Amino acid sequence: MDNSGKEKEAMQLMAEADKKVKSSGSFLGGMFGGNHKVEDACEMYARAANMFKMAKNWSAAGSAFCQAARLHMQMQNKLDSATSFVDAGNAYKKADPQEAINCLNAAIDIYTDMGRFTIAAKHHMTIAEIYESELVDIEKTIAHYEQAADYYKGEESNSSANKCLLKVGSYSAQLEQYPKAIEIYEQVATSTMDNPLLKYNAKEYFWKAALCHFIVDELNAKLAIEKYEGMFPAFSDSRECKLLKKLLEAHEEQNSEAFTEAVKEFDSISRLDQWQTTMLLRIKKTIQGDAGDLK
Amino acid sequence: MSAYPKTHNPFSEDDEEEAPRRGFNFDEDPEESSLSPAERRQQRLQQEVMRTAQSAVDSSQRSIGLIYQSEKVGTETAEELIRQGEALKRTERMIDNMDQDMKTSQRHINTIKSVWGGMVNYFKAKPEPPRPAQKDQPVSYEANSSLQNALAESKQQEDKYHASHPNLRKLETSGFGASASLDNGPSDQNGYPKNKQLRAAHQQLDTNLDEMASGLSRLRGLGLGLQAEINDQDVSLDSLLNKADNMDGKISSTNRQLKNLK
Repeated sequence: MDNSGKEKEAMQLMAEADKKVKSSGSFLGGMFGGNHKVEDACEMYARAANMFKMAKNWSAAGSAFCQAARLHMQMQNKLDSATSFVDAGNAYKKADPQEAINCLNAAIDIYTDMGRFTIAAKHHMTIAEIYESELVDIEKTIAHYEQAADYYKGEESNSSANKCLLKVGSYSAQLEQYPKAIEIYEQVATSTMDNPLLKYNAKEYFWKAALCHFIVDELNAKLAIEKYEGMFPAFSDSRECKLLKKLLEAHEEQNSEAFTEAVKEFDSISRLDQWQTTMLLRIKKTIQGDAGDLK
Repeated sequence: MSAYPKTHNPFSEDDEEEAPRRGFNFDEDPEESSLSPAERRQQRLQQEVMRTAQSAVDSSQRSIGLIYQSEKVGTETAEELIRQGEALKRTERMIDNMDQDMKTSQRHINTIKSVWGGMVNYFKAKPEPPRPAQKDQPVSYEANSSLQNALAESKQQEDKYHASHPNLRKLETSGFGASASLDNGPSDQNGYPKNKQLRAAHQQLDTNLDEMASGLSRLRGLGLGLQAEINDQDVSLDSLLNKADNMDGKISSTNRQLKNLK
């Protein structure tokens, strides 16, 4: 695979494109159809960027795409500019996450300007994922997922909105912003419990909301569970509800062994994931905190 | 599993298995060491029954776990599917918009091409505004009705299942019956605790099987709902494909016309 050759070619193209842009800036160039030259330069930048991608030189590819995007903006080709920014973002994702986020933000601005909220929402999700995995910054993750959910709601894509909202909820609970998490989970649960296909998961959301209630206050949890059972009868049959009742009892009696026992029993049939385990541990700490004994 | 002893072949097995137990019996109950082969066999069979019941309970626990796992996978699939369905609808709406725009631009091109074309435009009907997409409702209704049928059916089946399930009934009666019929004095004390354990094991098995039954009926409903949704999406994918192909043709012809205009 002649990738190193590609890289040299790419650099040549970049140099040519730069020359073209400069020449179109000069007086003569501007007179004789500067626009034409700028378009050609754009295309050359894009080709160069693709060749950099083949050579796996992601940051060079990213910067080439960025150049192309800026030129497109100059020529008022908003759509092309936005797509180039997105390509730049994708290339930078593998090399420099921060740059990627900048490019994607620029793209999002263009899209929201044009009123294309769905695609802007999709890119908000991509940015949030970068913050989630590479530049671990939970606050920004939440902010972007929230923005994405709002845009999706605006475009009536409720399932996609729910997906983002769930992520917001789980991260908020992690950061101990419980009222927000509770509101989100209840909202998602009530909206899905009527849909014939999605109602199977509604119990999961009620369970998570009840967990958050529990961390805040035990009485809240009790009231909440009753409310949910009234709203959604199937919830009372679920194993999660039974577990919740056992946990409430254990908490009342300040009996952390019964607590652990109940959790273990539930876990033996269907595993608890990381988030749920964290929440349960926090609840358990409140039991031990009250009882005053060390683990 | 018959508890009536057949005294011929298994003796060799009996000796191997019973040796440690006979030692055990020696310590506790010297009378039991002189058990007749029949009673020894009865003991062995009781222990077999216990073991089998226990392994049945364990396996049913595992099955329940698997059922819940499947349900989880199913629900996540359902969510993803609905998301895709929404995306498809959005795409269809956008293609319809594009169609409108293409028609408008075609008219403009006609005007530009020639004066005669402009007059033709005047007589051609104005392009209609796009119909609002009302596909959301029907989809959920369809899934709903098939789902309701599925639920009703599965409930009927559940009753039949409970009434006619042979294994459950047989195990219970044979478990209790065997020890009851062969209970003669000394083995009575040994039989009773086993009875309790057996009863507990069977009860656990019963509850597990109930849970499995309800879980399976839920899975069935989920599966049917998924199938209905996928069928719908199939249909809209086909129509989307057609529209996209038409679009493609229109765009290339428009491009050609524009080039010729120059």
